[in-house]
Amino acid sequence: MSKKELLAMLLAGGQGSRLYDLTKDVAKPAVSFGAKYRIIDFPLSNCANSGITAVGVLTQYRPYLLHSYLGTGSAWNMEDGVAILPPYATQTGGAWYAGTADAVTQNLGYIEMNDPDYVIILSGDALCRMDYADMLETHKKNNAELTIAVMPVPWEDASRFGLLVADETGRITEFQEKPPVPKSNLASMGIYIFNKQLLCDELRLDDANPDSTHDFGGDIIPKLLADGRRLYTYKFEGFWRDVGTIASFHETSMELLGDEPSFDLFAKDFPIMSNTESYPPAYYGPDANVTDCIVGNGSKIYGEATHSVVSIDSVIGKGAIVRDSVLLPGAIVKDGAKVINAIVGEGSTIEQGVEFGSADSGKDYTFCGNNVVIGKEE
Amino acid sequence: MAKTIGLITANYSTKFPSALTDSRPVASVPFLGRYRAVDFALSNMVNCGIRTLGMVMPYNYRSLIDHVGSGREWNLTRKGGGLFILPGSAFGTSRTGSRFLLRDLGHNKAFLERDNADLVVCSTANWIYSIDYNEVFAAHEASGADITVLTQPARDKDIDVAGFEVVDGRVKGVKHGVVFGDTAFLDSFVIGREKLLELLDWYNANDYLDLFEALAGDYDRVNVQAYEFEGYAAPIFNKDTYFKANMDMLDPKITHELFSVRPVMTKAHDNQPARIGTTANVTNSRISGSCIIRGTVVNSVLGRNVVVEEGATISNAIVMQGCKVESGAVIENAIVDRNNRVPAGTELRGTPEAIFIQGKGQE
Repeated sequence: MSKKELLAMLLAGGQGSRLYDLTKDVAKPAVSFGAKYRIIDFPLSNCANSGITAVGVLTQYRPYLLHSYLGTGSAWNMEDGVAILPPYATQTGGAWYAGTADAVTQNLGYIEMNDPDYVIILSGDALCRMDYADMLETHKKNNAELTIAVMPVPWEDASRFGLLVADETGRITEFQEKPPVPKSNLASMGIYIFNKQLLCDELRLDDANPDSTHDFGGDIIPKLLADGRRLYTYKFEGFWRDVGTIASFHETSMELLGDEPSFDLFAKDFPIMSNTESYPPAYYGPDANVTDCIVGNGSKIYGEATHSVVSIDSVIGKGAIVRDSVLLPGAIVKDGAKVINAIVGEGSTIEQGVEFGSADSGKDYTFCGNNVVIGKEE
Repeated sequence: MAKTIGLITANYSTKFPSALTDSRPVASVPFLGRYRAVDFALSNMVNCGIRTLGMVMPYNYRSLIDHVGSGREWNLTRKGGGLFILPGSAFGTSRTGSRFLLRDLGHNKAFLERDNADLVVCSTANWIYSIDYNEVFAAHEASGADITVLTQPARDKDIDVAGFEVVDGRVKGVKHGVVFGDTAFLDSFVIGREKLLELLDWYNANDYLDLFEALAGDYDRVNVQAYEFEGYAAPIFNKDTYFKANMDMLDPKITHELFSVRPVMTKAHDNQPARIGTTANVTNSRISGSCIIRGTVVNSVLGRNVVVEEGATISNAIVMQGCKVESGAVIENAIVDRNNRVPAGTELRGTPEAIFIQGKGQE
């Protein structure tokens, strides 16, 4: 195993419970997004575009689809590979990952085997385009021991986030977790670059501390601050979305649309890679009426699709209408059915003539999980 | 399945060159936007379990090697077996139209000798079909034939397609060109590996011939049986059949048979989903990934990365990857090869009888 400057540890064990049925049978990082991608494509592509050659992916919840999707990591040009790191047993027993920090602690052996100078901790369930190499440059320039990526959020929303208060040089002076009265509007993005030795030492200390919840935000960062370590912010002003809820998943999907979308998948400088499908190009039927959509290969559209995400291998039948909606891969909207303001899960079917979702903007988004059939009486 | 290896002769040299084949062999002509012709022969072999596959290369192999690479997309990067790139012979123009030139097979005897397979499946890369070769193997074994050739009643007159004279299922002769109802050769056959080596020895002195020409005097002593393939099959030897086969892909029944029963594997690209804009009007068409469509597209097949601006119109056409069709441009009854910019006000127009061809543009 050759020495690396920067090793990535991608936390991908999260259930994403607020996505309800969308994560009933898959981990949140494996949820389909943007017609042909899965959420984990975004951090993995960032790694590839930042020159990172090895990524450890920490998995725990419903891992099969995620594991098979990742394969060896060659789809993301990971020359040293993607290592899948699930919880494992040792001579003294084994345990589930108890928190974000614990997941990394249990895989210190993987970090030491790769012997990097720095370790970047990433969240496998956020969507952003970010150059981690630039963040590392900032880290080195500040002679920092830990750098935390932050993004400015509107002051009125700030108390929903973990906030970092920094001085004019970017050095962090205080960490506030969801404070009622925010002193800063810089929210932590859950992306950390650690000096490797500090990370290993601190995780071992944390592991031995019976009072710790083994969480980076809750335990590790406050302790390092209290110890007077050099913690710096890295300010990110680009596109970042958590898609942790049905509403944010739907709204972020809609941000991919329009003639000049706020989330532009076609940006040339930062390609999003994926473990690509092998479907033929999408077919548009003789009476198709498709406007303002992104459409994945393998789909067949005979009816209307307006302002929607039509994922790979999905079908919109004759006379069917799909508006302001997201069809996940393999979704079928049968002849004459209507899907409005909704999310249809992977491989799910909306039966002929059924109306799924509502044009009433006051209502919540309608959604269904994977591989279900929505008939007339539901 | 008996142990079987595959051999694709990807060096067919067309009798009727056009701008489409100026820069590439027929094997790597783009098909249905994201595919290339060779994908079908390759996928058919891999889908029936073949994992040792030789490919005889044309002299202008750049685009073909670029496409097949190490064979990764077809699961042919393996420790044992895998994809073998084999040299084709240089034979000028005198042997255009040959499918299985004896010299190409003879020069690569080592590939056949080093394996211990029972059977060899040979195919060109000039046809579009999806077949389960296991059915052919079963027919081959049941009939006890020396060679089993894939055939189908010809759907049209085609001077590029080879035909067989068949009596009671047994091949008695070969001819160039077919008319409706003839027994067309789908350019693929199954043969015992040792039998193939034996035939190569027999015809060693006549290696400028195609295997089936060389057999002309021997159809009585070599048992060549026809296996009639009942599925969709389209030859793409020239611009007209190429255009027609692409247009066939606008029939979902045909594409279901070709792509949904067994996968057709191809080189993967990191394409975005197609973006169909607010002003787009797309009907009866196939649109590949990374396309941005703001104009009108009717009865057409678009390759990857094609931009159709608002006010541009494409109908009854094939537009290959990387083309930009600007506002006000019209493309009709045409094949536009890759990387062309079609400026505002330009009309590239053919007729259904005489398809207009625009050669490759600048990269």
